[in-house]
Amino acid sequence: MLLKMTLNGEPVSVEIEPDDLLAQVLRDKLGLIGTKIGCGEGECGACTVLVDGVAVTSCIYPAMKAHGRRVETIEGVAKDHELHVIQQAFVDHAAAQCGYCTPGFIMAAKALLDTNSHPTREEIVAGISGNLCRCTGYYQIVEAIEDAARRMG
Amino acid sequence: MWQNYLFPATVQEALELLAHHGGQARIIAGGTDLVLQSQRGQCAATVMIDITRIPGLDAIEERDGYITIGCQVTHARIAASPLIRQKAEVLALACGSVGGPQTRNVGTLVGNVVNALPAADGAVALFALEAEVEMVDASGRRWLPIAEMYAGVGECTINPCAQLVTTVRFRPLSDGWASAYQRLANRKALALPILNTAVVVGLEDGVCREVRIAIGPVAPTPFRAREAEAALVGQTPDAEAIVRAARLAADAADPRDSILRGSRDYRKAMVEVLVRRALTEAVTKAMP
Amino acid sequence: MQLKAVGQGVQRLDINQKVRGTRKYPQDFNMEGQLYAKVVWSAHPHAVVKRIDTSVAEALPGVVRVITYRDVPVNEYGINIYDQPVLVAPRHLAGGGQGGGKVRWVGDRIAIVVAESERIAAHARDLVQVEYEPLPVVDDPRRAMQPDAPLVHENRESNILKHIVIRRGDVGLALAHADVIVEGYYTTHHVEHAYLQPDAALGFVDDESRIAVISSCQWPADDLHQIAHMLNLPEDQLREIVPAVGGAFGGREDMHIQHLAALCAFVLRHPVKIVFDREEVTQRTGKRHPFYMRYRTGATRDGRLIAAQVELISDAGAYASTSIPVLGNAATFALGPYKIPHARVDAYTVYTNNAVTMAMRGFGATQPPFGYESQMDKLAEVLGMDPVELRMKNLLDVGDIAVTGNVMTAETGVKETLRRAALAAGWREEDGHWIKPDLGTPSAPYKRRGIGVAVAYKNVGYSLGFEDKATAKVELALDESGEIARVVVKVAAVEVGQGVLTALAQIAADTLGVDMDKVRLALVDTSETPDAGSSSASRHVFISGNAVAGAAAQAKEKWQTILREETGEMHVEAEYTFRGRSVRPTTPFDPETGQCEPHISYSYATQIALVEVDVETGQTEILEFWSAADAGKVINPIMYFGQQAGGVHMGVGYALTENYIQQEGRPRARRFSEYHIPTVMDMPRQFESIAVESAPDPNGPFGATGLGETPTLPTAPAITNAIHDATGVWIESLPANAERVWRALRAADKL
Ligand SMILES: Cc1cc2nc3c(=O)[nH]c(=O)nc-3n(C[C@@H](O)[C@@H](O)[C@H](O)COP(=O)(O)OP(=O)(O)OC[C@H]3O[C@@H](n4cnc5c(N)ncnc54)[C@H](O)[C@@H]3O)c2cc1C
Ligand code: FES
Ligand code: FES
Repeated sequence: MLLKMTLNGEPVSVEIEPDDLLAQVLRDKLGLIGTKIGCGEGECGACTVLVDGVAVTSCIYPAMKAHGRRVETIEGVAKDHELHVIQQAFVDHAAAQCGYCTPGFIMAAKALLDTNSHPTREEIVAGISGNLCRCTGYYQIVEAIEDAARRMG
Repeated sequence: MWQNYLFPATVQEALELLAHHGGQARIIAGGTDLVLQSQRGQCAATVMIDITRIPGLDAIEERDGYITIGCQVTHARIAASPLIRQKAEVLALACGSVGGPQTRNVGTLVGNVVNALPAADGAVALFALEAEVEMVDASGRRWLPIAEMYAGVGECTINPCAQLVTTVRFRPLSDGWASAYQRLANRKALALPILNTAVVVGLEDGVCREVRIAIGPVAPTPFRAREAEAALVGQTPDAEAIVRAARLAADAADPRDSILRGSRDYRKAMVEVLVRRALTEAVTKAMP
Repeated sequence: MQLKAVGQGVQRLDINQKVRGTRKYPQDFNMEGQLYAKVVWSAHPHAVVKRIDTSVAEALPGVVRVITYRDVPVNEYGINIYDQPVLVAPRHLAGGGQGGGKVRWVGDRIAIVVAESERIAAHARDLVQVEYEPLPVVDDPRRAMQPDAPLVHENRESNILKHIVIRRGDVGLALAHADVIVEGYYTTHHVEHAYLQPDAALGFVDDESRIAVISSCQWPADDLHQIAHMLNLPEDQLREIVPAVGGAFGGREDMHIQHLAALCAFVLRHPVKIVFDREEVTQRTGKRHPFYMRYRTGATRDGRLIAAQVELISDAGAYASTSIPVLGNAATFALGPYKIPHARVDAYTVYTNNAVTMAMRGFGATQPPFGYESQMDKLAEVLGMDPVELRMKNLLDVGDIAVTGNVMTAETGVKETLRRAALAAGWREEDGHWIKPDLGTPSAPYKRRGIGVAVAYKNVGYSLGFEDKATAKVELALDESGEIARVVVKVAAVEVGQGVLTALAQIAADTLGVDMDKVRLALVDTSETPDAGSSSASRHVFISGNAVAGAAAQAKEKWQTILREETGEMHVEAEYTFRGRSVRPTTPFDPETGQCEPHISYSYATQIALVEVDVETGQTEILEFWSAADAGKVINPIMYFGQQAGGVHMGVGYALTENYIQQEGRPRARRFSEYHIPTVMDMPRQFESIAVESAPDPNGPFGATGLGETPTLPTAPAITNAIHDATGVWIESLPANAERVWRALRAADKL
């Protein structure tokens, strides 16, 4: 089947299998390896991407659902080599250790901050409660998102 | 998994596609249950009929004395809806406790019901709200009480290879009514419940006019603790009466041993605790 | 030496790529025309393999080859002992080696299906037919120790893989004279590493005809050593390239996938990619050892520990892996960081048909704290003494003698960690007595508050006579004026997320006196980077840090000579091997007394948990948490915080939510939805990391030791001691999940 979507701002069409999941299409067909697969069952958030601005776990998201939609992945977050404020905050707070969860956290954070620019700590915690990290203990991630929100004003 | 993925534009077209594929096609909404079931060989359908693009099925509204929720409405929208938070709080809380944000953004309330698990958070709340669902198939449309949708664990009386649920509806909770949701799980997000309970109480002059207690998973389907409810109706819901009702609920509950989610013993004991807490909270909120 | 990088929160070297999503992990690599492999796993925890039929699978279009035991030149491997078959052979063909003829757990492999696509390979794996004859399953090491238990390895006389003894003083006599004795039987559970990146590997033949793999791992040189044995090839015909690794925590110390990818490339002379899914990682790779621990501890009325008798039994699972050194470590730490003149330790590790157990953050130092720190709180209760005060009286100091007879040296900073943590948590010290803080009011009538403290320590570097060394190469590129323009450090220290690249770069920068941005660490590739040992034992900062410091110092000397002699050379190279034994040689246990010099260096931690327990449901919530660690000099404070917080995350999961449940050798917690690592909401609401730099190790680079593991060790007992403080019940089995706490409350009539 032909999947057409706007991917990180660019129109994309790609031939896929009807039962492909969005994460597979992004990684295997489009080479966007920044979207990670940690569990394949919606439990870890490593594969989080935004569809029409909403965070979804792309590992269990039928790719055809993205047809005609606006899809954002980690590759589209930095603009022209300049890190996005959230990415910069992750750097400054060392909010990535092994880094495997990081793209998913950044996408979840982006979904949150795009709709709520002044989140409380509770809202941040709730916003990333669908993402697992085995390395950091989360504190530096929460701080990075708080800091990013501050910097975004 | 499946070999075709289709987006019908109308309910009628969805039904025609289902009929056309003679049992091989199946409704998919968010897919948060169905995709994993297909991967694990628990769903044999070869054609997915995605209903999330049919116009007119995405509303949360109050009309004709009911709150209605379209079959495309996700847990996230319900949890955030001011209408639901005000007039059916138990449902907002239940939907807000499903999985994590990503799952709530995609998974629907109706899918949660049709998937027919006894502890499904949204479904348990709908039991306490005495919801009805509108089912459409070749023979027409009709409203079914939610309790009639269950045939057993994971078994829905509605056949998603031939029938479609368009809407859920229930009466809003007005003055003198309140609800509460209690949930016990192994961690605070991303965990199916060890036990959950949804409670709705209607008070009149300090006396219970109506009480509804739904509990999961203590039976093959979400469970209404009728004896416990009856014991409170017509009574002043003081601490003693609530404890009595909670005990009756625990007596009636028949949970299974689950190596992952807790023993029968523990769950039975927790029914009393959660039901007591939920009743206490709902009664407090319902007091003028 | 002026420190500009060391001690600073300098930015992690790899983080820019990580936040962009461009850093590549093994599953992110692909090669033109690569094939895809899937493993056929054992369907039984214990069974004779009678017949393997691959014909149907091989007939499926798109299947290239089904690799079986026939294709493995030497069908055995293992990190310590070659007791694992690579691919199990049918019994009548098993022959020599560990080819086996039987499966011993569900992680044994029967075959590898290689196909043109992942889908075809997955389909074909279900078509491989294997006939089994199930055997009785031994799933409890205490049962497996019995003489009549079915043997997991028939070539052995018993399932007991190792028995270690430590004898010091006269325990019987001392206990007879003790004023108080407390006892406990503590059990810990199987725990999954749950690194977020599932194992993946790409095997191929490189342009020098070497069998090469791109893979996640912790010790590339040791992988090559095992693969060389298994393929019957010299090591120089093999190569491992290690890109970014998505967490390890000991879980990648054993080979799970790289040897399989190497085998595929060896057989097919073609690139072959294998990626495990989460269910494979969860069910078919190793776990942390469950321990069954019996403690008897005696003290005087004024709170002096005089004797301890300890029995440790660990479940090794189906194969040895590192169970013996893990047991050795556990034995040396069985008493905790306390002065106890009379001690008797018996430690056993036993084969079963459960999951293979292996290294995991703490390496045998993680389980005993649950025993010895519960004992300390029991003693404090019996003596009516504050738990901090009791510990203060007994903690090891510089010059004290530990249970193995070794003298504690300069880096013994444990008391200061306790003092700092206790003060931060609100304890007061008055006239030599410690007074617990007021805990405030619980948030609901059915909740109780409690505070718990626990102390633990851990070795840095390999132990008990196992040689620890690392080699590093430092290359300097000089500019026209002879100044250092670029520094390349070559050292096969695998960055698994812990930040070793950055720490080593900081050490190199300050040793050379250059800015951090001039320093680059080469990608770990056995054909380029010299062996630095494993990313384990909290050792890289100490061992590889010393190697890098040594190589950098030599490079600097050469460079200064060039400047002095104006030779005009523009390139400097130096290589240096650091050996742990050059600073402190370790020795194995004396077989009769267990006396030895066990470890090269140590780090220490004290943690305190303030919890609220719902006494009707048994649920525990951690309100505040303090973690004070002494690992000598802090190389990078931001990464130090990250190690503490991450260690505590793992400790919280260990204490409360995680449990790798098996029934008769079959996994029941099969995936992430069934194996619950803590989410952000489950972490302590307030967390304070305290860096205690009270006892630098003069042998460590800039005085540093290592922090990778220690912050995980005291977490569970700090929490269970807090649960006791809140409720009065002792939790003697982990995890202390809601149902377990509820049961304890019910048994004590406290509901
Ligand atoms: C990571 C994760 C965590 C989760 N945690 C929880 C949890 O804590 N609590 C909980 O209750 N659930 C949980 N779930 C399951 C929950 O997401 C689903 O039950 C969801 O609500 C189902 O909705 P869906 O739209 O995704 O349904 P789908 O998966 O699309 O469909 C589910 C079933 O309903 C049928 N169906 C869907 N819509 C219709 C319709 N309109 N008419 C007829 N048939 C229909 C489908 O054919 C299928 O049989 C979790 C799921 C995931 C992946
Ligand atoms: S990989 Fe998609 S949620 Fe884990
Ligand atoms: S940084 Fe490793 S999983 Fe989050």
